[in-house]
Amino acid sequence: MDENKIRVTILLFGACREAAGMSEIECRFDSPANAADVWAEIKSRFPALERFERSSLIAINEEHASIDQGLKDGDTLAIFPPVSGGEF
Amino acid sequence: MEDIFEITREPIDKSGLEQRLLTGAAGAIVTFDGVVRNQTRSRAVISLQYEAYVPMAVKEMRRIGVEIRERWPEIDRIGIIHRFGELKVSESSVVIVVTSPHRRIAFEACHYAIDRLKQTVPIWKKEVFEDGEEWVEGEPIKNEE
Repeated sequence: MDENKIRVTILLFGACREAAGMSEIECRFDSPANAADVWAEIKSRFPALERFERSSLIAINEEHASIDQGLKDGDTLAIFPPVSGGEF
Repeated sequence: MEDIFEITREPIDKSGLEQRLLTGAAGAIVTFDGVVRNQTRSRAVISLQYEAYVPMAVKEMRRIGVEIRERWPEIDRIGIIHRFGELKVSESSVVIVVTSPHRRIAFEACHYAIDRLKQTVPIWKKEVFEDGEEWVEGEPIKNEE
Protein backbone atom coordinates (compact mmCIF):
# COMPACT_ATOMS: atom_id res chain seq x y z
CA MET A 1 0.00 0.00 0.00
CA ASP A 2 1.13 3.51 -0.76
CA GLU A 3 2.37 4.98 2.51
CA ASN A 4 1.41 8.48 1.46
CA LYS A 5 -2.27 7.55 1.31
CA ILE A 6 -4.49 8.25 4.30
CA ARG A 7 -7.87 6.68 4.97
CA VAL A 8 -10.65 8.99 6.18
CA THR A 9 -14.21 8.14 7.20
CA ILE A 10 -16.69 10.83 6.18
CA LEU A 11 -20.00 11.13 8.01
CA LEU A 12 -22.93 13.06 6.58
CA PHE A 13 -25.89 14.37 8.55
CA GLY A 14 -29.30 15.92 8.01
CA ALA A 15 -29.92 17.47 4.62
CA CYS A 16 -26.37 16.53 3.48
CA ARG A 17 -27.01 12.86 4.27
CA GLU A 18 -30.23 12.90 2.30
CA ALA A 19 -28.67 14.71 -0.66
CA ALA A 20 -25.92 12.09 -0.90
CA GLY A 21 -28.23 9.19 -0.15
CA MET A 22 -25.80 7.77 2.38
CA SER A 23 -24.49 8.56 5.83
CA GLU A 24 -20.95 7.20 5.68
CA ILE A 25 -18.24 7.23 3.00
CA GLU A 26 -14.72 5.80 3.13
CA CYS A 27 -12.13 7.77 1.13
CA ARG A 28 -8.40 7.64 0.55
CA PHE A 29 -6.36 10.76 0.01
CA ASP A 30 -2.79 11.63 -0.81
CA SER A 31 -1.17 13.09 2.29
CA PRO A 32 -1.19 15.94 3.21
CA ALA A 33 -4.93 16.43 2.91
CA ASN A 34 -7.52 18.62 4.59
CA ALA A 35 -11.29 19.14 4.58
CA ALA A 36 -11.10 21.10 1.33
CA ASP A 37 -9.75 17.94 -0.36
CA VAL A 38 -12.61 15.97 1.18
CA TRP A 39 -15.12 18.43 -0.24
CA ALA A 40 -13.58 18.18 -3.70
CA GLU A 41 -13.82 14.39 -3.57
CA ILE A 42 -17.38 14.10 -2.28
CA LYS A 43 -18.68 16.79 -4.63
CA SER A 44 -17.34 14.82 -7.56
CA ARG A 45 -19.03 11.68 -6.25
CA PHE A 46 -22.26 13.38 -5.17
CA PRO A 47 -22.91 16.57 -7.15
CA ALA A 48 -26.04 17.21 -5.06
CA LEU A 49 -23.77 18.08 -2.13
CA GLU A 50 -22.33 21.11 -3.88
CA ARG A 51 -25.00 23.49 -2.59
CA PHE A 52 -24.03 22.66 1.01
CA GLU A 53 -20.32 23.45 0.72
CA ARG A 54 -20.50 27.11 1.76
CA SER A 55 -22.94 26.71 4.63
CA SER A 56 -21.80 23.40 6.10
CA LEU A 57 -19.59 22.95 9.11
CA ILE A 58 -17.11 20.23 9.81
CA ALA A 59 -15.90 18.27 12.77
CA ILE A 60 -12.81 16.09 12.87
CA ASN A 61 -12.88 13.24 15.38
CA GLU A 62 -15.94 14.79 17.06
CA GLU A 63 -14.41 18.24 17.54
CA HIS A 64 -15.41 21.35 15.61
CA ALA A 65 -12.69 22.05 13.05
CA SER A 66 -11.70 24.49 10.33
CA ILE A 67 -11.57 23.65 6.64
CA ASP A 68 -7.76 23.83 6.50
CA GLN A 69 -7.07 21.55 9.44
CA GLY A 70 -4.85 18.65 8.35
CA LEU A 71 -6.14 15.08 8.29
CA LYS A 72 -4.38 11.98 9.55
CA ASP A 73 -4.87 8.34 8.65
CA GLY A 74 -7.93 6.96 10.44
CA ASP A 75 -9.60 10.33 11.06
CA THR A 76 -13.37 10.71 11.01
CA LEU A 77 -14.62 13.88 9.37
CA ALA A 78 -18.25 14.85 9.84
CA ILE A 79 -20.02 17.25 7.51
CA PHE A 80 -23.20 18.91 8.62
CA PRO A 81 -25.50 21.81 7.98
CA PRO A 82 -25.48 24.55 10.64
CA VAL A 83 -27.21 23.36 13.79
CA SER A 84 -29.33 26.40 14.46
CA GLY A 85 -27.69 29.79 14.55
CA GLY A 86 -25.09 28.85 12.00
CA GLU A 87 -22.39 29.73 14.49
CA PHE A 88 -20.27 27.15 16.23
CA MET B 1 -24.23 11.94 42.19
CA GLU B 2 -23.24 14.11 39.27
CA ASP B 3 -24.37 16.06 36.22
CA ILE B 4 -26.35 14.25 33.50
CA PHE B 5 -25.90 14.58 29.72
CA GLU B 6 -27.84 12.13 27.57
CA ILE B 7 -29.21 11.61 24.08
CA THR B 8 -32.12 9.21 23.85
CA ARG B 9 -34.70 7.85 21.47
CA GLU B 10 -37.16 7.35 24.35
CA PRO B 11 -39.59 9.95 25.74
CA ILE B 12 -37.81 12.17 28.26
CA ASP B 13 -38.69 11.62 31.92
CA LYS B 14 -38.62 15.24 33.07
CA SER B 15 -39.55 14.76 36.71
CA GLY B 16 -37.24 11.76 36.86
CA LEU B 17 -34.38 13.96 35.66
CA GLU B 18 -35.19 16.57 38.31
CA GLN B 19 -35.24 13.92 41.02
CA ARG B 20 -31.93 12.42 39.86
CA LEU B 21 -30.30 15.87 40.17
CA LEU B 22 -31.69 16.92 43.53
CA THR B 23 -29.21 17.07 46.35
CA GLY B 24 -29.97 18.61 49.70
CA ALA B 25 -27.92 21.65 48.63
CA ALA B 26 -30.50 22.85 46.09
CA GLY B 27 -33.10 25.47 46.96
CA ALA B 28 -34.24 25.99 43.36
CA ILE B 29 -34.79 23.87 40.28
CA VAL B 30 -35.19 25.64 36.92
CA THR B 31 -36.33 23.36 34.10
CA PHE B 32 -36.54 24.25 30.42
CA ASP B 33 -38.73 21.92 28.39
CA GLY B 34 -38.59 22.35 24.61
CA VAL B 35 -41.69 20.86 22.99
CA VAL B 36 -42.82 20.31 19.41
CA ARG B 37 -45.03 23.17 18.20
CA ASN B 38 -48.01 22.49 15.93
CA GLN B 39 -47.08 25.10 13.32
CA THR B 40 -44.09 26.89 11.84
CA ARG B 41 -44.17 29.82 9.41
CA SER B 42 -47.97 29.34 9.22
CA ARG B 43 -47.68 25.72 8.09
CA ALA B 44 -49.23 22.94 10.15
CA VAL B 45 -46.56 20.61 11.57
CA ILE B 46 -47.39 16.93 11.99
CA SER B 47 -44.12 15.85 13.56
CA LEU B 48 -40.44 16.68 13.84
CA GLN B 49 -37.66 14.24 13.04
CA TYR B 50 -34.50 14.82 15.06
CA GLU B 51 -31.16 13.44 13.97
CA ALA B 52 -28.09 13.56 16.21
CA TYR B 53 -24.37 12.96 15.87
CA VAL B 54 -24.66 11.19 19.20
CA PRO B 55 -21.10 10.94 20.56
CA MET B 56 -20.24 14.51 19.57
CA ALA B 57 -23.58 15.83 20.84
CA VAL B 58 -22.90 14.34 24.28
CA LYS B 59 -19.40 15.86 24.27
CA GLU B 60 -20.77 19.28 23.38
CA MET B 61 -23.42 19.07 26.08
CA ARG B 62 -20.71 18.24 28.62
CA ARG B 63 -18.79 21.26 27.39
CA ILE B 64 -21.84 23.46 28.06
CA GLY B 65 -21.83 22.06 31.59
CA VAL B 66 -18.19 23.12 31.98
CA GLU B 67 -18.99 26.61 30.65
CA ILE B 68 -21.87 26.97 33.11
CA ARG B 69 -19.70 25.99 36.06
CA GLU B 70 -17.07 28.52 35.01
CA ARG B 71 -19.68 31.31 34.86
CA TRP B 72 -21.79 30.30 37.84
CA PRO B 73 -19.64 28.25 40.24
CA GLU B 74 -22.49 28.12 42.80
CA ILE B 75 -24.65 25.94 40.52
CA ASP B 76 -25.35 22.61 42.18
CA ARG B 77 -26.31 20.22 39.34
CA ILE B 78 -26.90 20.39 35.57
CA GLY B 79 -28.89 17.91 33.51
CA ILE B 80 -29.52 17.95 29.77
CA ILE B 81 -31.41 15.22 27.91
CA HIS B 82 -32.09 15.55 24.17
CA ARG B 83 -34.35 13.18 22.32
CA PHE B 84 -33.98 12.09 18.70
CA GLY B 85 -36.16 10.19 16.25
CA GLU B 86 -39.73 11.14 15.36
CA LEU B 87 -41.56 13.40 17.82
CA LYS B 88 -45.22 14.34 17.77
CA VAL B 89 -46.73 17.72 18.63
CA SER B 90 -46.36 18.59 22.34
CA GLU B 91 -43.68 15.95 22.97
CA SER B 92 -40.44 17.15 24.58
CA SER B 93 -37.37 17.31 22.38
CA VAL B 94 -35.01 18.65 25.01
CA VAL B 95 -35.15 19.07 28.78
CA ILE B 96 -32.60 21.12 30.70
CA VAL B 97 -32.55 21.14 34.48
CA VAL B 98 -30.34 23.38 36.60
CA THR B 99 -30.36 23.33 40.37
CA SER B 100 -28.76 25.82 42.72
CA PRO B 101 -29.00 27.02 46.31
CA HIS B 102 -30.85 30.17 45.14
CA ARG B 103 -33.06 30.80 42.12
CA ARG B 104 -31.42 33.63 40.17
CA ILE B 105 -28.35 31.83 38.87
CA ALA B 106 -30.41 28.74 38.07
CA PHE B 107 -32.59 30.85 35.74
CA GLU B 108 -29.53 32.45 34.13
CA ALA B 109 -27.66 29.19 33.69
CA CYS B 110 -30.68 27.38 32.24
CA HIS B 111 -31.24 30.19 29.70
CA TYR B 112 -27.55 30.08 28.77
CA ALA B 113 -27.67 26.29 28.37
CA ILE B 114 -30.51 26.26 25.81
CA ASP B 115 -28.99 29.11 23.79
CA ARG B 116 -25.60 27.36 23.66
CA LEU B 117 -27.17 24.00 22.89
CA LYS B 118 -28.74 25.45 19.77
CA GLN B 119 -25.37 26.83 18.65
CA THR B 120 -22.96 24.01 19.37
CA VAL B 121 -24.69 20.66 19.75
CA PRO B 122 -24.90 18.70 16.47
CA ILE B 123 -28.58 17.85 16.32
CA TRP B 124 -30.79 18.62 13.33
CA LYS B 125 -34.50 18.66 12.82
CA LYS B 126 -36.75 18.05 9.88
CA GLU B 127 -40.26 19.43 9.88
CA VAL B 128 -42.90 17.07 8.55
CA PHE B 129 -45.95 18.85 7.09
CA GLU B 130 -49.11 17.40 5.58
CA ASP B 131 -47.78 18.13 2.12
CA GLY B 132 -44.05 17.59 2.45
CA GLU B 133 -41.01 17.85 4.70
CA GLU B 134 -38.10 20.22 5.16
CA TRP B 135 -34.80 20.26 7.06
CA VAL B 136 -34.43 23.28 9.29
CA GLU B 137 -31.17 24.89 8.25
CA GLY B 138 -29.42 27.79 9.87
CA GLU B 139 -32.42 28.98 11.78
CA PRO B 140 -31.39 32.18 13.56
CA ILE B 141 -31.37 31.81 17.32
CA LYS B 142 -33.22 35.12 17.75
CA ASN B 143 -36.27 33.65 16.00
CA GLU B 144 -36.46 31.03 18.70
CA GLU B 145 -36.98 33.46 21.54
